[in-house]
Parts: sequence; structure tokens; C-alpha cells
Amino acid sequence: MKLWSLLKSAARNLLRKQQVENQLDEEVHAYVDLVTQERIAAGLSPSEARRTAMADFGGVEQVKQAVRDDRAGVGLELLGQDIHYGFRQLWRNPGFTVTVVLTLALSVGANTAIFSLVNALLLKSLPYARPDRMGSIYTRITGPISTDERHHVNGEQWELLRDNVPALISAVSSTRVSGVNLQAGSRVQYLQAGRISAQYLDVLAVRPIIGRNFSADEDRPHGPNTAILSYGVWQKTFGADNNILGRSILLKGEPYTVIGVLPEGATTPLNADLYTAIQASREGEGGGTNFAAITRLRDGATWQEADAQINRAWSHRAQRYELEGNPNAQVTYYSVPLQKGLTETLRPQVVALMLAASLILLIACANLAGLTLVRVLRRTPEIATRLALGASRWQVLRQLWIENFLRAFIGGTVGIAVGFIALRGLLLLLPEHFLPVARVALDIRVLAFTFLISVLTSVLFGMLPALATRKFDLRSAIASRANLGGDHLGLRQALIVGEVALTVMLLAASGLLIRTLIHLQTLPAGFNPKGVMTARASLDDAPYRDPATFRKLLAESTSAMRQIPGVQYAAVGLSLPYERHLNSGTTLSDGKEAGQQVMTGEAYVTPDYFAALRIPILSGRSFTGADGPEAQSVAIVNQTFARKFFHGTDPVGRYLDKKTRIVGMVEDVAVVPGLDSPDPLTGEEAMYVPAGQLDAKSLSLLHVWFQPSWIVRTAGPIEGLTAQMQHALSSADPNLPFSGFYSMRDVLAKALATQRVEVALMSTMAALALSLSTLGIFALVASVVAQKKREIGLRMALGSSVRQAMLHIGAPGLRASALGLITGLVLSAGALRAMHSVLYGIGVYDTPTILTVVIMLTSVTIFATILPTLRIAGIDPASTLREE
Amino acid sequence: MSVKPTNLLQGTLDLLILKALGPGELHGLGISRRVEQITQGTFLVKPGSLFPALHRMEEAGWLSSFWGESENNRRAKYYRLTKAGKSQLKIETEQWTKVVLAMTNALTAT
Repeated sequence: MKLWSLLKSAARNLLRKQQVENQLDEEVHAYVDLVTQERIAAGLSPSEARRTAMADFGGVEQVKQAVRDDRAGVGLELLGQDIHYGFRQLWRNPGFTVTVVLTLALSVGANTAIFSLVNALLLKSLPYARPDRMGSIYTRITGPISTDERHHVNGEQWELLRDNVPALISAVSSTRVSGVNLQAGSRVQYLQAGRISAQYLDVLAVRPIIGRNFSADEDRPHGPNTAILSYGVWQKTFGADNNILGRSILLKGEPYTVIGVLPEGATTPLNADLYTAIQASREGEGGGTNFAAITRLRDGATWQEADAQINRAWSHRAQRYELEGNPNAQVTYYSVPLQKGLTETLRPQVVALMLAASLILLIACANLAGLTLVRVLRRTPEIATRLALGASRWQVLRQLWIENFLRAFIGGTVGIAVGFIALRGLLLLLPEHFLPVARVALDIRVLAFTFLISVLTSVLFGMLPALATRKFDLRSAIASRANLGGDHLGLRQALIVGEVALTVMLLAASGLLIRTLIHLQTLPAGFNPKGVMTARASLDDAPYRDPATFRKLLAESTSAMRQIPGVQYAAVGLSLPYERHLNSGTTLSDGKEAGQQVMTGEAYVTPDYFAALRIPILSGRSFTGADGPEAQSVAIVNQTFARKFFHGTDPVGRYLDKKTRIVGMVEDVAVVPGLDSPDPLTGEEAMYVPAGQLDAKSLSLLHVWFQPSWIVRTAGPIEGLTAQMQHALSSADPNLPFSGFYSMRDVLAKALATQRVEVALMSTMAALALSLSTLGIFALVASVVAQKKREIGLRMALGSSVRQAMLHIGAPGLRASALGLITGLVLSAGALRAMHSVLYGIGVYDTPTILTVVIMLTSVTIFATILPTLRIAGIDPASTLREE
Repeated sequence: MSVKPTNLLQGTLDLLILKALGPGELHGLGISRRVEQITQGTFLVKPGSLFPALHRMEEAGWLSSFWGESENNRRAKYYRLTKAGKSQLKIETEQWTKVVLAMTNALTAT
């Protein structure tokens, strides 16, 4: 009741100000009139009556002001006035306002984008029901070699997990999606297929909108061919056909029965176009750890029970690969939340990014504190005048806070817009399937977080000037227009030292990443990537499990490609340089190494592979068309293979697996490591086998996982090359589409995607930090120039040269920057050691990087110092002295 | 003895104004005179306190105002209690009585 009445009054007071004022005026005067009338009646003269009435009243204006001060909504009105005044201040100093808003917008924008990513990866729940009950299984090995990570599981582990761990609903999938051919009508499409076990979708709690999940029977080895479509494929390829259930589709050259369609927007960790049953067993791919397991805790069970059951089930296996080469090791298994399991590998990068983004924010804060301090000092006379005229300290401070808040608000709003754009750019930068989450969006929590940042920043940098105004000496501030800058120069220099130091760290970090990328991109490739075009196709189709059909396809398609004018060589290989080779175990079978089992990368190639890629044959011969199924089994190894396993002796003529004769040695080419090298690219041991000598068993297994590439080398650019390549392939098999065409540069870019993203992000942040620091130094020196104009005038009048004056004025900026540089280098020496694991080919203490950082920072410091001091030349000593 | 209302206990002025308006509507000068009368000249309410108090109480919904004619035919702004004002008078009177009783007991206790 009272509140409502107050609100009504406040609204009236604010909206009908004039009317309220008039009424007050009338009321007050009516009062005085009444008293005057009484006194006239009592016998006083009219003028005397009025005079005494007014005197007794005690000042009409004062009474009215007392009423106004008590009015409802007066606080709001004052706030409105302050905001209005604040906006005028912002408007009157556009340079300062733009600088502050830009600083805030860039730093808040960077933080918004980065935090959105962090949110999507680490904070936000997976898009499944009750994600806290979903898990992945980690293997902790303690022994001579200790590891603690998520392992893929083999067929035996899968069967034990499925049958002997009742606390969990468990499922497995292929570790990645594979390219497959889907024929719908006359068109064949290349799609990404995932293979999943029964209950996989139950673990994710995803229900098909039509149909059902795979049954246990369909998931049995040699069970019926069935498929579940994603919503997208159902819409695009099958026109959202409601009668799709039970329909037979031609997938991988065989009929598959559609049993379900996933809902719109439903995602899985595989994120595939369609799914088939994995039909896992202990044979074939189940012989190795080729499945990814996910689990969901059953109602009423606990993770402790589940872990105990897993350990019991897996500890008594006949073949424990964990103990190979690591005897007497202790092996335990434990569940980890699925989210953590899926994002573990990205976590360090994301955390580093967040760290860098918060450094940017710190730098921005230091800058803003410095800028605002100068602003307040410049406004000393104005503030002193307001205080002298009776404004309370609180009113002055409030005004300053409101201005800070307005800037923070504008900066924050612009920052969120910048963040939107930055996030989109960031996601465009990331390669497909890089993130384990379907999409990264700005959500309300991120927006709240960002706003909190900008408001907190306002508090942070609003505080320093507020503290500064506490020590105003009114008289001296008004008497001399002298600036009180002297005392605060030290503080501002300290801020510059801090931000320069942080900038140095970011610059050094990004420098190291750039050097790593350069190192990786300029590694000796071992082949000539120029003039090579490649194309990938899926050979998972049923007919190509027959070696003769496979050989015929390769021969016909490469020969058709060789007919394209300008093409010098055409070949097929699995895989390409800059890609991962297959992992293969082989036994050395002669000489003193006889009987030694080794792991090596392996690739199958057609005879022209080495010629097409210009991989030098160092010894022996290349493959020829004669290396067929009936001929002597042959292989070619690379230099590292020979060095590692044959101690550098010529491997030609040696035997592998008893029957395979090594006929040549080629140079190492850079590949993504499949063995144990931590480097992103390496020239690890590799062995090449002729595609013509592959048997049916390896063909079907290989092509379920991987897709081979066709390679052509041309003398120069050829118009419409890719269409002609597709045409050539179609002449051999009209139902075989290429998934896409890639130059070797594309393949390299894909291999180094992580590094390129790291470099792009870190360099952007370092550039941001550098520009903020430059701005900070510039503002410091510029304000010193403005403050010391009189002093400079005096000095020059007394005979100082412009150059000397410039040096004198620029010195604080130079000193602060130099100190910051040294501090930053010292800090980097400690902090950057954490980057050890992402650096390749260079050390943490990299001289070229340090030199570049020093040179860059020195040059921007000199630039930022000289630019404002140039104004000194324009100072006329005579006129400065006259102003006194 | 004349005490400035600012020296009064917090809320005393409000209570006195409410009390003064109890019998019926009055204009500003009338309220001031009435308070002086019912307190037997102890409290003189000056315009500098009276007007802010009247406006504040009106905004709180305890008083309503209207323009009328004074005894000697001058225009004046009259105030009267609203329903909320009447109950406020009752509440404040009760509180005041309690305070006075308690204070008296405290001061006469031996």
C-alpha cells in the first residue's frame, strides 16, 4: 500500500515535474499570504507584515529545496542527471571514450569467444539425458612404463564388459567414422558411416523417431545387414519417406534394411550420416583394441560397483595386451565421466587459451586503470571546483563511478558483438570433427559471465582513480592549475611494466608456436608435393573384397587417368604422405636379426606410387606390374626401417615373415605417426607392399577402416582435372564416387590442423596484447607531454633542445617498457616450460624467438614513445611562458 | 520552552501532524497552529520541517490534499487523513504509548 503510493508519487514527481513544482510554489506562497493577512489584521503595515512573515518562514527557496530533497524518486532523478552528465563527458572526449570502449570490447570479445568454447567443451553437459551417469573407461598402468588414459578395447574386453558388468549398460562403436558408398536410385553418394553395437543409442539415451535401435541379434557376427539413418540423410536422400522402415538400401554394394531414423538434431560422439551394426567378435578387428567403449550406470548401481565389476571381468583375460613389454605392471580400470573422457585431449589447449585470454583481460585492465587515472588527473580542476561549490565527495565519486560504468557497459556490449564474430571465426578455423561436441553456441551463462567481466573490470579500474581523488587538496588544486601527476607517474609506470611483461609472455608463447609450425611445414618431406592431385574413394563395397576385382579396378582406373592429357603418372595408395600409415607387425626372418618381431607403418601402393610422388628409390627397384598375386611376395622399406632394424645395411634381398623379399629402399617421407612418436609429423619406419599382392582378408579389414587415395602427377595445371579424374574412375566402375579432391598442401594442412589453430589463436592474442601495450605506453607518454607542457616550455626557453626535451619526456615510457621486457623474459623462462609438450623441433629457450620478441617490443615502444613526443616540437616556449 | 522539531525524537513530528489532522482537514498554517496548541506551546513547527513532512506523508499515502478557501477567503492547500493515515495514527499512538510507559517505568525504577 505504502510502496504503491510511493511509486505513484515518484512517477508523478519525475514525469510531471513542472506541475509539481508549480503546486509547491503556490502552496508556499499561500502559506506566507495567510500569515501576512493575519499580521495586517493585527495592525502591522502591509509591507512590514510581509517582511516579517517572510523572515519567519525561513527562506522560500530553502524550504522548497527541503521538500525536493525528501521527494519520492529523488535518487532516481539524481542518477538520471549523473548519467546524462556522464554521457556528455563521454561525448566530449571521443578519443578517450573510443580508446576505452575499444580496449574493453577487444578483451571482452576475446574472452567471450574463448569462454564459449570452454563452456561447450568443459562446462556444458553433453547433449544427452542424465550425462552424469555416462562414462568412459580409463586404464591405469603402474610399472616400468606408467600410463593413465582412455584405451580402446578389443573384442574379448567388449564381450566381458557386455556380459559380466551388470552395473552398466555398455556399448562400443568404431573409433572413427569411415567413408561408405550409398546408392539411392541412379546416384551414388559418399557418406560417413559409424558402426555401433546394440544398446549404443540406449547408452546415449537417443530414441529413433521412426523404428528402433539395433537388436542383440542384428549385432551378432554375420547377423543381418541393417542400418539406422540420421535425420539429415533421411530428409535429403530419402525425401523424408515415412515408409522407409524395412526398405532395402544399397550400402557398400550390399542391401541393408533400414530399421530406424534418428530424431532431428540428435548427435552421437561419432556424428555420422548413418549407422550400421558393428557385429563385434574376438576375431578380425576384435583381435586388437579397435573399439571405443561408452557406458551408462544402471539405476540403483554405483560407480564403485561398476569399477569393481570391470576390474573383476577384465583381470583374468588370457591375453592382456597391457602387460606386453611391461611385465609385473599393475593394471586397474576405472570409470571417468564421458565428458571428461571425450575432451581430455583438448583440455590442455583450451586451458592455455583461457589463460591467454585472461592475460589479455589483465593487460586491458592495466591500460584502463592508467587511462582513467590520467583522465581524472586532467579533470582535477573541474573536480576541485565541484567540491568547492559544495558537492560532497560521495557525489563526485559517484559521478566518476557512473562514467566508468557507462564505458564498461558500452565496451561490454560491443565486446559481446565482437565475441560473436570472433567465435564464428574460431569455429570456421577448426577442422571438421575436431570438437567432440556438435555445436558451440553463446548461451546465457556465457553472456552473464562476460557482462560480469566488464562490470568487474569497471570496478577494478574505477577504483584506482577513486582512490586518487581522496587526496585532493582543494586549495592547491584550484590555486595552481598544476597537475598532480607527479605522484601517480610511478603507479602508471608500474602498470605499464606489468602489461608489457604479460605481453612479452604471450609474444614469446606465440613465437614458439609459430616456430614449431614453420619447423613442421618445412620438414624434409621426402617427396615432391608440387603438381600432385589426390582423390579419395571408399572401397568398402562388397565386390572389392575380391582381390581380382580390386586389382582390375586399380589397373583400369589408373590407366584411364594416365590417358588424361598432361598427366604423367597415376597411382593408388593407402595411405598418402602426411597421413597415418597402417600399423603392422612383421618378423625379420634372416641374418642375425632373424626371429625379431617389429612394429612398423605399412602402406599398400600401385607400381607408379613412388614415381608419382617422386619418392627417391635409394636402393633396389620399385614395384612393377609383375609383382602380382602369383609372383614372389615383395616389399619396399624406407631408410628408417633399414637403419632401425638392419643397422643401416642395405635391406635389399633380406626377407620378412619368411616369404616376403625386400626389393627396394626408399627415402623417408613425413607422415602422421602411428607408432609412438609424439611429434605431429615424423619419418618413422615404414614398409610398402604392392596392392596387387593383398589377400581378401586384409582387403575387407583395411577398407572397413580406411579409404585409399588416387594420385596423379601433372606437368602443369590442367583445366577440369578433377572432373576428368572422376570420369576416369567411373569408366572403371560407374558406381564409385570420389569423396573429394585434395592437393598435397591440403593434406599437409589437415595433418597440422591442431598446430595451425594454436598458432592462429595465440598470434591473434599476442597481437592484441601488443597493441594494447603500445596503446598504454603511448597514453602514458602523451599524458606526460600534456602535463609537462609548461616545464618543457621553460626548459626550451632556458636553452634545452627539442631532442633533449623529447628524451626527458619519453624516458618514463622507455624505462617502464624496458623493465617490463626484462620482467616478461624472466617470467617466460619459468612459465613457458609448460609449453614443452606442444613444441617440436625447437627448445623452450629459442634464441630467434627471444630476439624477435625483444626487437618487436623495442620497436613498438620507440614508436609509441616518439609519436606523442613529436608534439614537443610544436610547443612555443614564448607562448607557454605567457600563459603563466 | 521551544524545541526545534529536528530535535524531536524520530517520528514525533509525523505523529503530531497525524494527531493534529485527527478531527478534520487543516491547511499548513492550521496544522502548525494546532500542534502548538495541543502541545501547549512546547513544539513550534517551522515551515522548513512542516512542508517536507507533509509532502513525504502525502507521498506515503497517509494524507491527501486539496485546494480550498481559508477562513478569511484566501486560497490554501488543505490536508486530511486518508484511511491509511488513520490506521497509521492508531499504530503510532500505540507504539508511542508503549515507549512512554517503558521509559517512565525505567526512569522511575529504584
